[in-house]
Amino acid sequence: MKKAMKGNISLITGSVMVAITFSLLILSFIWTPHDPLEVTPDDSFAGISSKHFLGADKLGRDILSQIIVGSRVTLLVAALAVTIAMTLGVSAGITIAVASRKLQAPMVYAVNIALAFPAALLAIILAAVYGASTLTAVSAIGLATAAAVAQVTRRTAYGILASDYVLAAHACGASTWRIIRKHVMPNLRASLLIQASAVVSVSVLAESSLSYLGLGTPPPAPSWGRMLAGSQQYIFVNPLLAIWPGIAIVIVVLGFNLVGDGVREVFDPTLRRSDS
Amino acid sequence: MNQPLLEAINLSRTYKLAKGSAGKGKAFRHALVEMNLSINTGDRIGIVGESGSGKTTLVRLLLGLDTPTSGSVEFKGQTLISGKMPWLRKDVQIVFQDPRSSLDPRMKISEIIREPLVCLGIDEDHDARIDEVLDSVGLERAMRDRYPHELSGGQRQRVAIARALAPRPGVLIADEPVSALDVLVRDQILELIAQLTDKLGLTLILVSHDLSVIARLCNRVIVMKDGAVVESGNTREVFDRPAHEFTRALIGAIPRLPESL
Amino acid sequence: MSLLEVNNLTIAFGDKKVVDSISFTLEKGSRIGLIGESGSGKSMTSLAIMGLLPDTATVSGSITFEGQELIGLSDREHSHLRGNRMGMVFQEPLTALNPLMRIGKQIAGPLMIHKGASLKDALGSALELCTKVGLPDPDRVLRAYPHQLSGGQRQRIGLAIALACEPALLIADEPTTALDVTVQREVLNLINTLVDQEGSSLVFVTHDLPVVSIMTENIAVMQLGQIVENATVASLFQAPKHEYSQRLINAARVAEDAFSGTGGIK
Ligand SMILES: Nc1ncnc2c1ncn2[C@@H]1O[C@H](COP(=O)(O)OP(=O)(O)OP(=O)(O)O)[C@@H](O)[C@H]1O
Ligand SMILES: Nc1ncnc2c1ncn2[C@@H]1O[C@H](COP(=O)(O)OP(=O)(O)OP(=O)(O)O)[C@@H](O)[C@H]1O
Ligand SMILES: [Mg+2]
Ligand SMILES: [Mg+2]
Repeated sequence: MKKAMKGNISLITGSVMVAITFSLLILSFIWTPHDPLEVTPDDSFAGISSKHFLGADKLGRDILSQIIVGSRVTLLVAALAVTIAMTLGVSAGITIAVASRKLQAPMVYAVNIALAFPAALLAIILAAVYGASTLTAVSAIGLATAAAVAQVTRRTAYGILASDYVLAAHACGASTWRIIRKHVMPNLRASLLIQASAVVSVSVLAESSLSYLGLGTPPPAPSWGRMLAGSQQYIFVNPLLAIWPGIAIVIVVLGFNLVGDGVREVFDPTLRRSDS
Repeated sequence: MNQPLLEAINLSRTYKLAKGSAGKGKAFRHALVEMNLSINTGDRIGIVGESGSGKTTLVRLLLGLDTPTSGSVEFKGQTLISGKMPWLRKDVQIVFQDPRSSLDPRMKISEIIREPLVCLGIDEDHDARIDEVLDSVGLERAMRDRYPHELSGGQRQRVAIARALAPRPGVLIADEPVSALDVLVRDQILELIAQLTDKLGLTLILVSHDLSVIARLCNRVIVMKDGAVVESGNTREVFDRPAHEFTRALIGAIPRLPESL
Repeated sequence: MSLLEVNNLTIAFGDKKVVDSISFTLEKGSRIGLIGESGSGKSMTSLAIMGLLPDTATVSGSITFEGQELIGLSDREHSHLRGNRMGMVFQEPLTALNPLMRIGKQIAGPLMIHKGASLKDALGSALELCTKVGLPDPDRVLRAYPHQLSGGQRQRIGLAIALACEPALLIADEPTTALDVTVQREVLNLINTLVDQEGSSLVFVTHDLPVVSIMTENIAVMQLGQIVENATVASLFQAPKHEYSQRLINAARVAEDAFSGTGGIK
């Protein structure tokens, strides 16, 4: 009872937060109070007013409009990074787990190397070859987190493959493919959900830092990460500039995390309180 | 020549213990030592023995679910290689000792029992067969849509039995299949297995700590201790005139019901 | 005041009652056996006392333990009792053990949490407990993971964990199903001695009628979520009143006679 309720609360809070982000995305295509790129020197560092609900930045661009439009980049980053990281990571993790002993060692080694490879370095290389863009940043983030996903997936899958019910499936004559599909995947689901929500958080934050380094979304297209980064030098002049994109990032990251948590707790048929 | 159906030849299994998991220097656990056993079609073999004497280890090896350290298992003259014998699966089914862990927690009961039917390509109406085996182990059909954790211990054990019986195996290996059942349900299951052995000539390998269960179902019994057979023979003879001290201790330690009036 | 009083305990999943208004009391130092049909609610009753029912269950009625009402107790408060004042041996040993933790730590855990023992002391007591429950080679066992043990060895680990803190109430749900009869005898003797020494009380759940008749003074017979008969061992085995108890005991006698008939026991 108690646990199901707790799951529900995270799920509801999380869903509301994610819904807010998605509403911003839809809104960005319909209406913004101002053109987010419109420069009005008179309004430089304007505070909260009826003209600029959330104030304006150094160039007098409307913050609210930038936040609304910035949701596009954030959600695009989240979606692409999750797709890349989960597809690659999960298939690599499971392949390693079911591979024969001899093949396992080199594959694990390869994942460990990938794990040690910094996302920023990858992003620099990609940016050098293709020119910095949201896409190069996301690819770098996706590839780098895929290694971590593969690592966790492999470990969890090992445990599942060693269980008695997989042994029982072997005894029934189940093929490896069937065991992956019917036993490993369903039992991995909880762990995958958690990983996916972690990837969302990591990627949104990583895109912010890469944009700050000039390796992500190029200006002037607004992105929350770059807004946050750009506000840094004026933090004492006008702290509001940092607060708004900060709040926006917190809402997405926390929202996806709560949804991941809540879904797991509510829908896991076996989640029982463990005894002490 | 009369070839045995299932044969264990000098079968040994030694578990390597990871570093630091053994006392002073002992890094191996000899769970099964030089075991020889031959089983003919229609045999009903009971295995009793000390807890930790290697019964479960033996049973897994007989099914090719584990690789022997030395020696081999032959099924109809062919050597089993772990994980590579789909032809064996159609004939031999197993009931695991711990029912709960042998049932996938995310599968409904119906899917669990359906698994061997699908994997072995059994050409029969699967749903009808599932209902039939559920009936025969005394579970309501409404249990089909439950998950394993929504059943009682004894109900789970019966699901494990139902899964093993569903594809109509020729050989049934059962590791403590009735330990969680009340006397009445246990009788029903034993009766079911007895019928299968009598009418259909099912070959049975039954591991149990309950000597009365072995006495009822098995014509031969082997008694194990420390990974080796200490005594074997006709069930009646072994239980009537136990030769080995351990067998005598076992028989002597059976608790008895209080006298009735 | 009785140690444990169960009053009109009802446990339901949705609108299906799996335990239907059962009541019994257990004095300090006394023992009760729970026997009955598979699926009749024995384990659910035990879990309710331990506060470990699944979240989907709805519970009503009352359970008082040492004067404290357990129903509606928060999980945190309950966890102070669990493994400390009350210990339980679970029916399926493997599921009660953490697959990724060495046995030693799992036995030491409750001692460290409830008794504030240091890891070293707790591991020392764990070793002692393993020896007591008749595990050969306890050094190895302490360092093993659950999957490296046989069914009967795991079951004895479950007992060791339950006994670690010398609980006032021991609930044993089929604690000897995976043991051969010689080890079973040792383990039952051990439970007897410890329960007597500490003046603990015992709830013993089993399908093994001879065993329950040795271990307890009173027996409650359950069927379809209800206690259909609650009697002393002597009167239950001599003159069972309820139709289900009669059938159960008859079947057990028939099985025993059939076995003795093979000459097994004289
Ligand atoms: N994976 C493993 N690693 C190390 N030792 C193991 C492993 N599996 C089993 N053993 C040991 O091998 C011995 C035999 O185990 P097995 O499970 O075959 O016993 P069993 O006869 O089935 O006992 P029980 O009646 O208690 O189930 C035991 O001492 C056990 O501790
Ligand atoms: N999570 C659940 N949801 C629905 N029904 C459940 C759930 N858990 C258990 N049950 C049902 O509750 C009943 C009582 O279960 P319980 O485990 O107490 O039986 P038991 O007396 O211990 O039986 P056994 O001797 O077979 O272990 C069973 O019929 C079972 O199917
Ligand atoms: Mg075993
Ligand atoms: Mg039970």
